[in-house]
Amino acid sequence: MTDATSEPPSPALAARSVTKRFRGVVANDRVDFEVAAGEVHALLGENGAGKTTLCNVLTGLYRPEEGYVEVAGRPVRMHSPHDAHEAGIFMVHQQFRLVQSLSVAENVVLGWSRRRGTWFAPRKVEHEIAALAEQYRIDVAPRAKIWQLSVGEQQRVEILKAIYRGARILIMDEPTAVLTPQEVDQLVATLRAMAAAGAAVVFISHKLPEVMAVSDRVTVLRAGRTIGTVDTATTSTGALAHMMVGRDVVFEGRAGSHRVDGEVVLQLEDVSATSDMGTPAVVDVGLDVRAGEILGIAGVAGNGQRELAEVIAGERPVTDGTVTIGGKRQHGKPWEAIDSGLGYVPEDRMGVGVAPGLSIADNLRLKSYRRNGRIMHNKKAVADAEEVIRSFDIVARGPRTLARELSGGNLQKLIVARELSSGAKVLVVSSPTRGLDVGATESVRKLLVESASRGVGVVLISEDLDEIFELADRIAVLYRGRVTGIVDRQDADVDRIGLLMAGESAA
Amino acid sequence: MTGVNDNLAISIIVSAILYGTPLLFAGLGELFAERSGILNLGVEGMMLMGAVTAFWVSQKMDGPSWLVLLVAVVAGAAAGVVMSLIHAFVTITLRANQIVSGLTLTIFAGVVGLSSYLGVVANLGAQAGRHRFSDLNVFGLQNTPVLGPILFHESPLVYVSWLFVILSLLYLYRTRPGLYLRAVGESPQAADAMGVNVTRYRYVHTLLGGALAGVGGAMFTLQIATNWINGLTAGAGWIAIALVIFAFWRPELLMLGAYLFGASLGLGYDLQARGITAIPTEFWSALPFLLTIVALVLASVGSVRRRLGAPAALGVPYAREEG
Amino acid sequence: MIPLSVRFEPRERLSRWINIWVPAAAVLLALVVAGFVLLASGNNPITTYRQIVEAAFTQPGAFTQTLVSTTPLLFTGLAAAIAFRMRVWNIGAEGQLYAGSIAAAGVGLYLQHLPAPVVVIAMMASGAIAGSLWAAIPGALRAYFNTNEILTSLFLNYIADFLMYYLIFDSTSFWRDLTSASARVFPQGKYLPASGNWPALTLSSVVVPLGLVIAVVLAGLLWGTIRGTRYGFEMRVMGDAPRAAKHAGMNIRRKIVSIMLLSGAVAGLGGASQVGDFRHVLDPRGLEQAQFGYTGIVVAALARYNPISAIVAALGIGVLTNAGLALQGPNFPIGLTGTMEGILLFCVLGSEIFARYHIRIHRTVPVAALHTEATPGSDAPGAELAAVGGREQAS
Repeated sequence: MTDATSEPPSPALAARSVTKRFRGVVANDRVDFEVAAGEVHALLGENGAGKTTLCNVLTGLYRPEEGYVEVAGRPVRMHSPHDAHEAGIFMVHQQFRLVQSLSVAENVVLGWSRRRGTWFAPRKVEHEIAALAEQYRIDVAPRAKIWQLSVGEQQRVEILKAIYRGARILIMDEPTAVLTPQEVDQLVATLRAMAAAGAAVVFISHKLPEVMAVSDRVTVLRAGRTIGTVDTATTSTGALAHMMVGRDVVFEGRAGSHRVDGEVVLQLEDVSATSDMGTPAVVDVGLDVRAGEILGIAGVAGNGQRELAEVIAGERPVTDGTVTIGGKRQHGKPWEAIDSGLGYVPEDRMGVGVAPGLSIADNLRLKSYRRNGRIMHNKKAVADAEEVIRSFDIVARGPRTLARELSGGNLQKLIVARELSSGAKVLVVSSPTRGLDVGATESVRKLLVESASRGVGVVLISEDLDEIFELADRIAVLYRGRVTGIVDRQDADVDRIGLLMAGESAA
Repeated sequence: MTGVNDNLAISIIVSAILYGTPLLFAGLGELFAERSGILNLGVEGMMLMGAVTAFWVSQKMDGPSWLVLLVAVVAGAAAGVVMSLIHAFVTITLRANQIVSGLTLTIFAGVVGLSSYLGVVANLGAQAGRHRFSDLNVFGLQNTPVLGPILFHESPLVYVSWLFVILSLLYLYRTRPGLYLRAVGESPQAADAMGVNVTRYRYVHTLLGGALAGVGGAMFTLQIATNWINGLTAGAGWIAIALVIFAFWRPELLMLGAYLFGASLGLGYDLQARGITAIPTEFWSALPFLLTIVALVLASVGSVRRRLGAPAALGVPYAREEG
Repeated sequence: MIPLSVRFEPRERLSRWINIWVPAAAVLLALVVAGFVLLASGNNPITTYRQIVEAAFTQPGAFTQTLVSTTPLLFTGLAAAIAFRMRVWNIGAEGQLYAGSIAAAGVGLYLQHLPAPVVVIAMMASGAIAGSLWAAIPGALRAYFNTNEILTSLFLNYIADFLMYYLIFDSTSFWRDLTSASARVFPQGKYLPASGNWPALTLSSVVVPLGLVIAVVLAGLLWGTIRGTRYGFEMRVMGDAPRAAKHAGMNIRRKIVSIMLLSGAVAGLGGASQVGDFRHVLDPRGLEQAQFGYTGIVVAALARYNPISAIVAALGIGVLTNAGLALQGPNFPIGLTGTMEGILLFCVLGSEIFARYHIRIHRTVPVAALHTEATPGSDAPGAELAAVGGREQAS
């Protein structure tokens, strides 16, 4: 019985013209987004599109510079995740907030309990949780300790936490990144059950096949803007991929980029490795890199890039396959990799790439210090550092400045300078320009190109597709740990790469 | 049928309980502090402060014995709280190194520090104790064979300690604050994310540790020794720290361990008194520490660690931005 | 009540001077607080401080005594500093020192008929080796089983203590004097003959023990090692950023064991010095009361784990210790020494955060009630700027 004047019910959750800026970067640009109660809604986009930022706004972690958030049609002001919880909005992040040594029941009840008394009766709580778990098709034993559970099971505990606290809106950040196919099916069943019970479910993803299979509607973000919202039933992976990455490709890549015939400086054969959580991270990867070329490795973050870089650097053991650097077979030791000619610029600059409490001069010889005997020639190191600071245009008070005082861009230049100065044959760089301003980005990219032209083989792992297109000679795409395709730059087009990144295998 | 052997066994148990109870109090206190993630190596200093304060009150105060003793114990606890407050402030709010801070507390309050000073200022060394806890006769059963001397003829402090063990178990495993405490010590980040005030839990439980250490110290001057000698705890505080690890941070094992260590200490003296000198007393004194080292190594071995290990965040300052 | 939030925020710029004025302010604060304590105990702080200086430096024989107090503290301070710098928490300097004393006394007695230089060198070597071995246990346990070295090294202190007591008080060991009549009643150790006395320098009425000379030289060597050798470089990197050390290919396990061996050797050398320079006998009671090992940790912390600063810090604590002994009397009981040392160290410890952070006080805007009908765009920029909340707010 519809009243002639009734309006459609307000969306359970909405973002209205939300704008969020960080240090000059516009992460969300007048984004509109709505989710209705009872639907499963996918939020799609590549790295840096603004999905996570939007969700952080929706869950009270960030406050927008402009625009506002609506819950059930009424605008709300949230100052913390706690406020969001009061409003029924819960988010399950990629990194779980669970206490390993406590049980499932204890974790669910931590910080909040329905009974609100002093007493904690494990059996009662376990019953409550078992009942909820039953209702939402969540298969987990309330008494099990978290450290005994698989990653998929741990994720279910996180969902249970939200349900237990009366979640009306559940947001999941790349939930299937760490799941086996069976666990994915279970997750989908749970999300469907929640939607059927009237909750609104949002999940962030970059995986087209899943988005097509699971969601009712899809909203695509690109470069901080909403591109559009479509009903899943009426769209296709091709259309979505185009919305996700499609743009006019203006740059033509490096001048003179062509297939290079230098010697092979890095070779991976059938390499596999597992992640910290024990799931497969790198699966049967085969690659070669020749002197003088830049191999770009594209893909959305979380598909094994970090683990691949660590494998090459000898910081992560391989479960299968071989890594060869400069012709020398590697055995999983970082110093062996360094001695064989590997330069590595890791994702974590401060604390891994560099020791924050040590000076620039000391950090510059972090990897080469072994080469000059037992005595460290400090005067020479300082002089060398001055030279590097000058030629790489690093802004710092002097060679004795501590690394932690450098800005992001200068720190990165320092690390790249160090790796290059040590005579590396292969340079692996991970997200080299992430978080850098325009000038620093320019300089770093120039450095990479120059080193390639001097004969270094560069592996550029980046989430920034533009960067890969600008610099790489060949492009490999990683999806769920596998190389789904390797294309020459001149044969590559953005749509095709986008599809590869989103899970379609090379046609 | 009481023979020489029965007497030995019973007297060992009785002295185990006597020497073990201060260890039990101080150990419980340290257990709570460590469960919240704060390592407090200043237990010896706190116990000495508790001892000297309690003794001072019992010498100065007039009134019925039971009242004086009660106030003295409370004063000892208060002294412990004040000491632990310094450590808490320096390590939690000012995020200093917990090891160095704890050792500083031992120096500050210990045998060449404040407790010694107070003892001299109040001229406590020359005085004989006026009040002493005497053993109760519970239900009149103190003379029953075997169990009598052990269960029914103990000092009130011993019975209080048993009560505390039970309360501790209930607190840790059957109350919400106890659950939150366990979370704070294991993963302050997760606890914080779930809305638990990590800082408050750490302060409260460190201060609780101080109070209980003070009570343990008070027992020395109000029961075991009944006079004041500078440094009379003679390392009991360090043994209490060892005890917490030996007991894998569980109150019931702590009680067992306290009596075990108490027995080890008492046994040395007992055997010597009976002329059995083959094994030197020092061996018995060293035994608790040896046992704890072995337990530590076992606990560090991978899979065992998960089940029986230290609170994962023990000793690490927590700061939200970096956490 | 005005809602205020007081927070620590990282400093933007770290000037070189911070490392000077922060500790200086801490020491000043300590002097003031200790001054109040002295007042409360009926002493005039200014006179007391003057007396301390006199008792430590100017009175006849004072400085010599100060050096006697300083020597063991420098050894244990160095031992703690090099380990702590690498975040290896060696609390066992006390036991390692005992081990060194036991070894040096034993060797000194055993080799007593050899020429003095040989005996002295043998005592040093055995002391260092004994300390090393004692430290190797917690070191290996940490490196290979990841057992907490704080606790293992701590408990080994107790075991070493009991061993010392056993040798002198509870056995008829080689160390024990079984000849003289009094020794049979009051157990004590055998005194070393003259060949085991370490030589000393006399510079215009100040006696400088050999041990101190060695310790100062050691401080210099250690400082040089840390600054100028590969070994020291690895130490610095591991102490600052273990993940970066791994990234740079360093072998962390081996380093941990190595630093414990070195640290134990230094502490053991301190124990040998106690026997050779000062006591000439294995003296469990004296060593136990002195607590050189634990005080050494205080010295190391005051020196911020720098070997050269440790010389100054050891001297400082040596001054306090000596003055405490000299001034001991009805007005200045021994307990004041520890109390003042404690105040000093708490102030220094508490001040360290200010080197990297400063305090920011904000007025907080009370959290708006949920579901307020806030019209879009009504978030006045002014209100937002004054409020703090939400984690991304830039300051």
